[in-house]
Amino acid sequence: MKKHPYQKMTKTLAVLFSITMVFILSQTLWAAPKLEQSKAKGGDCAACHVKAKMLPDKHADTKAMNWEACKTCHTKDNLSLIGKLPGSHRHQLAEVNCVKCHGKTKKPEALTMEQCVACHGSTAKLVEKTKDVKPTNPHTSPHYGSELDCNLCHHQHAKSENYCAQCHKFDFKTP
Amino acid sequence: MKKDDIKEKTLSRRNFLKTTGAAAAAAMAVGGLAIPAKNAQAAGDALPKKWDETYDVVVIGSGFAGLAAAIEAKNAGANVVVLDKMPVHGGNSIINGGDFSAPGTKMQEANGVKDSAEVMLKDMLRAGLYLNHPENAKMVAYGAKDAFEWSESYIGARYTKLNFHGGHSVKRTHGTITASGSELVNKMYAKTKDLGVKIQLRTKLVKFISNKEGRIVGLEVRKDYKFPDESTGKTAFIKAKKAVVLSSGGFSQDLRLRQIQDPRLTDKFGSTNQPGATGEALMAACIAGAMDVQMDWIQLGPWTSPDEKGFGYVPLFCEPLVGYGLMINPKTGKRFFKETGNRKERADAIIAVGEPVLIMGDSYAVPKQVVPEKLQKGMEIGAIKKFDTLEDVAKNYNIPVDVFLKEVARWNSFVEKKKDDDFGCMIFPDTKPTVVAPFYVARLWPKVHHTMGGLVIDKNAQVIGFDFKPVKGLYAAGEVTGGVHGAVRLGGVAMADCLVFGRVAGKNAADEKAWG
Repeated sequence: MKKHPYQKMTKTLAVLFSITMVFILSQTLWAAPKLEQSKAKGGDCAACHVKAKMLPDKHADTKAMNWEACKTCHTKDNLSLIGKLPGSHRHQLAEVNCVKCHGKTKKPEALTMEQCVACHGSTAKLVEKTKDVKPTNPHTSPHYGSELDCNLCHHQHAKSENYCAQCHKFDFKTP
Repeated sequence: MKKDDIKEKTLSRRNFLKTTGAAAAAAMAVGGLAIPAKNAQAAGDALPKKWDETYDVVVIGSGFAGLAAAIEAKNAGANVVVLDKMPVHGGNSIINGGDFSAPGTKMQEANGVKDSAEVMLKDMLRAGLYLNHPENAKMVAYGAKDAFEWSESYIGARYTKLNFHGGHSVKRTHGTITASGSELVNKMYAKTKDLGVKIQLRTKLVKFISNKEGRIVGLEVRKDYKFPDESTGKTAFIKAKKAVVLSSGGFSQDLRLRQIQDPRLTDKFGSTNQPGATGEALMAACIAGAMDVQMDWIQLGPWTSPDEKGFGYVPLFCEPLVGYGLMINPKTGKRFFKETGNRKERADAIIAVGEPVLIMGDSYAVPKQVVPEKLQKGMEIGAIKKFDTLEDVAKNYNIPVDVFLKEVARWNSFVEKKKDDDFGCMIFPDTKPTVVAPFYVARLWPKVHHTMGGLVIDKNAQVIGFDFKPVKGLYAAGEVTGGVHGAVRLGGVAMADCLVFGRVAGKNAADEKAWG
């Protein structure tokens, strides 16, 4: 098919737009994590977020912190971090960096739950662990049993969500 | 769902414009000229320079119909792939109630029910207001028993309960052991994988690709698509050497399309369906030349509750109770319709009342008819309530108590003589008067449940075009098709429809002569 001049123009515009967006994003909010950054400490927000301020003014300096250190102030009942941090941050703070899940690659790909289960153990154990959660056990259902992909709720690079809530009124707080 | 992905967006704007441009042109052809739609697209379809993947048969959708087609096509020797745009398999089939209507089965015999395919067909046609395409309805009624037995013996699904659904003349609906379609669809999914069929989730159909003769030769898809974010996914071209089977389901969750067909169905009506039940694949087929039929017959489920989201638990409470308990209009304290009527009759009657109505049963009927776990769950979330006395029921729902007590007594007198003088409700041999406390009650308000209309197919599951000829290389099965059910789909006939036509579509797709 011959390219219409309009299409060429659109393409140029799209490229310009993309470049601009990448520039804006990287300077202000967030830089796409590169694998080199996986060497950064979990508490070193600026390593990925560049100049953006991620924590409240009075927050202690987190640069040298790991997940254990976070837990001295953030407990389950007080200042809980449940649902506040994308899973990758939680992983990074526990020294599970990009490479540990995605492997050494220039183009990290989306992973399946086999990767999660390899470290976290069998889903059967998880089902048992959350059997008393109300209104219902989030890790088993009449539809998918215990095999619904972990990533559908526990996002690693975005805020986690309650996948069940598409159809149900289950009020889960998803870490 | 949100995107959970750090990868670069790979859909180029140029490609997007090209696709929508072609779609718009073909859509204009459908609207303006009607007949040459297929030719209009065929002329504009340049085949991709390179196909990314090649299969004999490409199945779209991983619900009952799609997996049935994939299994049969594979067993007929074809190289098969199943695509689904969602991140999970099973579509609506995995959240459905697991009820399979089939006539003349062993379970019916064990329960003393006399039935035949002929009677089932009559029930389907009567409920369907005789708008059913008779040959296709006949395929389902006469093929249901064989499909049901195949689902037991070959797939390994277990059915434990013989249920009644409104509009059928006998009990012919076989409930799975879990009261969910997951029992069947998960086993079909496992079978499909065991047979070596590739299943690709998060892969969305963008358009059908036809050659110069209008034959469907492949698909443009977006891989790694993150529903419902239309900016996601990477364009790929999949060649279908023999045929495509479209089994993408209905469009109950497609607010725009369903309101074009039936403007009353605004966002005020919820839906029982999974969020991916939208109509773009159906329309892509129309753009490629397929004819649609009866698109405005959209079914509301009369057994859903305003007190829970989606399908919920109340349908599994209400439907086993009809013929054993009674429905009440709380404003008047009286019954208002035949409880065992079909879905359309009952949904229309509830909407005519104008506010939620009640279904109730006593402690004889409810434990006998309702799966205990579902009752328990429904009560936990407050959609089903329990009362010690009928007076308490009246008080809770602001029902005029005297009228209500008289009405229950009147119903009980009908039960005693096995005949409902007021509405002609079916009363079963084991129905007893509603007298044993405690009483269980749920509120009912309809939700959009099933789209009867869809693509025109013949009895071979071959899609028919606007020129009345088969669209070569395109088969369809399940809710994406229209005509089997006419105006009303009866309960449990969707599973029958999907398995009968899914299997036919898969076999015939595998038998097609490869085009290249």
